Amino acid sequence: MRKFDYFKPQSLDEVWSLKQKFPSAKYIAGGTDLMVAIKNRELLPPALISLRSLPELSGIEDQAVIGAGARIGAAVTISEILHHPILNKRFPILRDAAQRMGSVQIRNVATIGGNLCNCSPCADMAAVLLVLEARVRLQSPVSQREIPVHALFSGPGVSCLDSDEVLTDILLNPPLPQTQTAFFKKGRVKMDLAIASVAMLLNLEGNRCRRARLAAGSVAPIPLRLYDLEKLLDGADIQPELILEAQKLAEKSVAPISDIRSTAEYRRHIIGIYVRRGLEQILVERSQT
Amino acid sequence: MRLIDLLRGPMHQTGTKEGCGEGECGACTVLVDGQAVNSCLYPALEVEGKQITTIEGLMDSHNTLSIIQQAFVDTGAIQCGFCTPGMILSTKALLDKHPEPSEDEIRSALLGNLCRCTGYVQIIQAVQHAAENLKGKS
Repeated sequence: MRKFDYFKPQSLDEVWSLKQKFPSAKYIAGGTDLMVAIKNRELLPPALISLRSLPELSGIEDQAVIGAGARIGAAVTISEILHHPILNKRFPILRDAAQRMGSVQIRNVATIGGNLCNCSPCADMAAVLLVLEARVRLQSPVSQREIPVHALFSGPGVSCLDSDEVLTDILLNPPLPQTQTAFFKKGRVKMDLAIASVAMLLNLEGNRCRRARLAAGSVAPIPLRLYDLEKLLDGADIQPELILEAQKLAEKSVAPISDIRSTAEYRRHIIGIYVRRGLEQILVERSQT
Repeated sequence: MRLIDLLRGPMHQTGTKEGCGEGECGACTVLVDGQAVNSCLYPALEVEGKQITTIEGLMDSHNTLSIIQQAFVDTGAIQCGFCTPGMILSTKALLDKHPEPSEDEIRSALLGNLCRCTGYVQIIQAVQHAAENLKGKS
């Protein structure tokens, strides 16, 4: 593997001065995507600026005490999210996605910020953050902005970040009462990128859906909110006929491609199955509470 | 430079193997502060201030195999041996935190370690065997 300079700044201020000195240096967090790209010679950065030691990007803050949601530092690892008891309780869909991501070894170093910034349509954490309607904070030497997570993804592997911008935090709204969630992921084997994934969040009163949020992964150029399905389900009674209608609509709402992992037809089929399964599962769980 | 390059090169610890170099096979697994990581993806300079455990670190000074290593030998979980150092370190990471894992928990913990020889049956048995023997010890 070719050599590269490696910097370990201890603060964002250090990051900015390093980026100014080495404008073509790339940021690295866990490295589970970047190091593979370097090995395959898809990227040949002259230097790497590590985001792993930045206190500004670390930590998980549960904000329930102040009636707010939570803040997750961008450099928090998937393992930390998976094992955080309060996050698991308040946002179980995060744990559902985290435990299907890669392997123990990957989760111990991969970060939630990196998963988002890599902008893969398969990103496991992206679909769940879309249905949670999370926001992300982006910082640069001269600015700070907060955008909804969906605005981060410009295209496959392309984010909206400026060249020196760093994603620093993921911000979650407080969960509404009576929220039910489901997450499904299909890979060729358990430890694989998703060939299709579905995240859903429903606020139910009895069988009536007050609010629905659905997202799909690996079936479009970017992680995809399924707005048509949300329109179908918002305010509706979730009955078996509607569930079947949702399944058919889901198949029409995605734009998958065929690649080495799977075919477009299979991906489309799986998305429909997962939407149906998710709605059925949520109804069953609801009836048990 | 990656951690695996540092280990196998200047440090001459060649027990850690490079299988895929992409974080998929787990042959390069080492423990960093007790956590299993793929050393083929871990930048070498990130180990500053951290404790690294390689397969070489499991034997004692008299060349006696550790309980986990012996369990792999006893259950026939080693054929070509290439996946073995990674398997053993993932096992150690698991048993250090979960001394009595279920079979499902063992399979989940070893998801990131591939074996082309054994079919995994004897490996799962080795982990269960090691868990039993470690229980006996403490």
